[in-house]
Amino acid sequence: MIRFVLRRIVAAIPIGLVVTLGVFALVFAMPGDPLRELAGDKPIPAAVLAAKRAQYHLDDPFIVQYLLSMKDILTGNFGTTFAGADIADQLRLRIPVTLKLTLLANAVQWTLGLIFGIYAGFKRNGWIDRSLLLATLVLLAVPGLVAYFAAQYLFGVELKWFPVSGVLEGFPRSYLLPALVIGVLGFAGLARLLRTSIVETVNADFVKTARAKGLGEQRVLWRHILPNALLPVITFIGLDLAGMFGGAIITESIFNLPGLGQFMFQAIKLKEGGVVVLLSTLAFISFILINLLVDLLYGVLDPRVRNV
Amino acid sequence: MRRLTGVVGAALGLALVLASCGDGKSSGDGSGSGSKSEVIAIAADPLEYINPLNENGSPGIQVAMAMFAPLVTTDPESGKLQNVMADSVTPDKTSQTWTIKLKAGNTFQNGQPLTAKDYVDSWNMTAMGSNAWKNNGFFSKVDGYDALNPPTPDGATPKPTAVKTLSGLKQIDDLTFSVKLKVPFSQFGLTLQYLGLAPLPEEVRKNPDAYKRKPIGNGPFKLAAEWNAGDDIKLAKWDGYKGPQVPQADEITYRFIPNADTAYNEFLAGNVDFVDVPSTKVKSFKTDAPDQWVTSISSGANYLVIPAWDARFKNPKLRHAFSMAIDRKAFADLVGLSEPAKGLVAPDMAGYRDNACKYCEFDAAKAKQLLQEAGGFSGPLNINYNTTSATGQIFAEAIGNMLRQNLGLQVKYTGKQGSEITELADSRKLDGLRFGGWGHDYPSIEDYLTPMFKSNGDANFAGYANPALDAVLAKGDAEPDPDKAIKLYQQAEDIALEDMPLIPLYTKSNAYLHSAKIEPRVSKYVGVSALWATFK
Repeated sequence: MIRFVLRRIVAAIPIGLVVTLGVFALVFAMPGDPLRELAGDKPIPAAVLAAKRAQYHLDDPFIVQYLLSMKDILTGNFGTTFAGADIADQLRLRIPVTLKLTLLANAVQWTLGLIFGIYAGFKRNGWIDRSLLLATLVLLAVPGLVAYFAAQYLFGVELKWFPVSGVLEGFPRSYLLPALVIGVLGFAGLARLLRTSIVETVNADFVKTARAKGLGEQRVLWRHILPNALLPVITFIGLDLAGMFGGAIITESIFNLPGLGQFMFQAIKLKEGGVVVLLSTLAFISFILINLLVDLLYGVLDPRVRNV
Repeated sequence: MRRLTGVVGAALGLALVLASCGDGKSSGDGSGSGSKSEVIAIAADPLEYINPLNENGSPGIQVAMAMFAPLVTTDPESGKLQNVMADSVTPDKTSQTWTIKLKAGNTFQNGQPLTAKDYVDSWNMTAMGSNAWKNNGFFSKVDGYDALNPPTPDGATPKPTAVKTLSGLKQIDDLTFSVKLKVPFSQFGLTLQYLGLAPLPEEVRKNPDAYKRKPIGNGPFKLAAEWNAGDDIKLAKWDGYKGPQVPQADEITYRFIPNADTAYNEFLAGNVDFVDVPSTKVKSFKTDAPDQWVTSISSGANYLVIPAWDARFKNPKLRHAFSMAIDRKAFADLVGLSEPAKGLVAPDMAGYRDNACKYCEFDAAKAKQLLQEAGGFSGPLNINYNTTSATGQIFAEAIGNMLRQNLGLQVKYTGKQGSEITELADSRKLDGLRFGGWGHDYPSIEDYLTPMFKSNGDANFAGYANPALDAVLAKGDAEPDPDKAIKLYQQAEDIALEDMPLIPLYTKSNAYLHSAKIEPRVSKYVGVSALWATFK
């Protein structure tokens, strides 16, 4: 077990290097001068520009800039953004915001996805199942941007059920509306997957065998069908949780939540390679850890994969 | 020095920048106590520090306006210069050396008296290139600037120079200092209203970083509560401010909401008292918030920029032809809240003339004839637009269609990031036209002509140079009589209009929403300000 975990972590290191190098190269290749972007279109005195360029190593070759960024990340010496923000401060401020949003949104998404998926799976072709199919198509077709602004206007401005934006009202009130929108927009995929998985499992031979042995319906459902039907869903949930970070970029911007997504958005806007790589590294590490967790969970649920 | 290329309609003059910060706190919280408080929404990322000398962007200067008092300011009633911290600002006969005398009895918010030394030392710090403070460039007009800002090779960190002070800056006594400029400059007095010239007290000067979140100002407001990264900024009235125009508010909160549409929604929900109308709401704000909006006359001037380095555009007749082929009225309607431009300066400037531009009338036949006389235009005409602006492409296509239909030109469009367009233009590599805009930093028509049309001007987008214009500008700069100076600047404008390196397009009004609790100040001279709002 420990060897398995260690092996996975060691294997992740070269992938992490490739990923961060790729991300850094992408930011580096973006057109435009970051300091100009920061200054808007105002002329900057040459001396100020030179000092800032030197401070952020902007005149160094690509690979030197990348190595310096990695050194800063590995030594925990994050420095400041081009705008002068202390990056360690920003992380302390922003990580909890994104965590709260992501976990709440996922709780909404999983709850809805599991309830609707299981129900539709067992009562297929009933009206819930058919409504779910329709809802899935509609929800998957709505662009997030439209849904976020519409929800903000309807529930924040008009009905005043939720704060419009910001985190002034704390957890969970300030996070409820964005989390609900993310959850509602996202649950459809999970529900569809779970439904299909249950339908397949219900018809599997081992379920028929269990029933033939005379096991009660509850026991068949909880001990035989669900553990098997949930296997692909766990993988999906793992990937989804890790992918939430990308979605947070838009949500946090519209709902003015000072999280990592908003930070990433600013960093990309300003071509701030160091910050983008730092945040990508964080995202990558959480991705690796969540996937490791998923695999371990898999082993618990399905003894067949335990020694793979 | 605020250049607004590529972002059509984003031009903000200093006055308007200051004005744009206004916003009232909604009736929701805290108003029951009888204290007058307002919440001002700022559609920008939260500030990282408050140090006006190292801040030339709109959000930072807006906050500085509340916490720091300038030497002089523009009287919103009369448009004349009015003393604030200064007792007098006196030029010598040639307008080259200026003597500034401070009023006695003013202090910083830590109780220390405000002296001439505070100004001299703060300004010297800012002028030192190695400090990399953003308002460094302001001091480039002062004698001795070059010694503090020696050229630095690429990639090297500028080193502190042996010289620590501007030779042109002299403290005379406790309350008096003088500024000697490199060349005469009759408008220098006007520039002293810039908030980026605020004084820092001695303890802050010793270690500015330690005070970046607990600034010590000399203005009408001070920090009301501890301020941490990412927080809104809460200010409370400071009784030590003895200047003119005391704001009515007891408390002000600046809320930073980077997404402008979200800030607008916060207003509609009743959570803020003042907000800028974002470009996406220009058509709808009057119905979204009936009786709760104000507009200001002008936020500067917007242009179509012709690249001087492209020989195809050399002939002035061709530029006039382009200009007369544009239906400015239709274009201004498309932009919204705008008026067709009739000159190169904003209409609220002293010295603005309604009839300055001879070639700004829409006349397709005359345009065609002028183009023929100029020998036509070769190759497709490229119009560059800013992809980060929601309206960039729409405006580019509108102009392109007019030029295509009225002059028979072949037109293409290129979308790029704003900073990339600027960079290409600065290195004289940009192909074709682009949009540009300018808002003054101090209310003088000179602040349009020098940056944009003087050879190597700060914001000379077009790469234009004409020694005759430079000479007239220099005469205006040396002319102590304001009326005579304006006449000379108008001559410079005429030269620029004849050469037409920029084609005037429109002047845009700014729009703001305010809650029923406050009535923002609206002045034709300084725009709209919520900071000085009247409480109902």
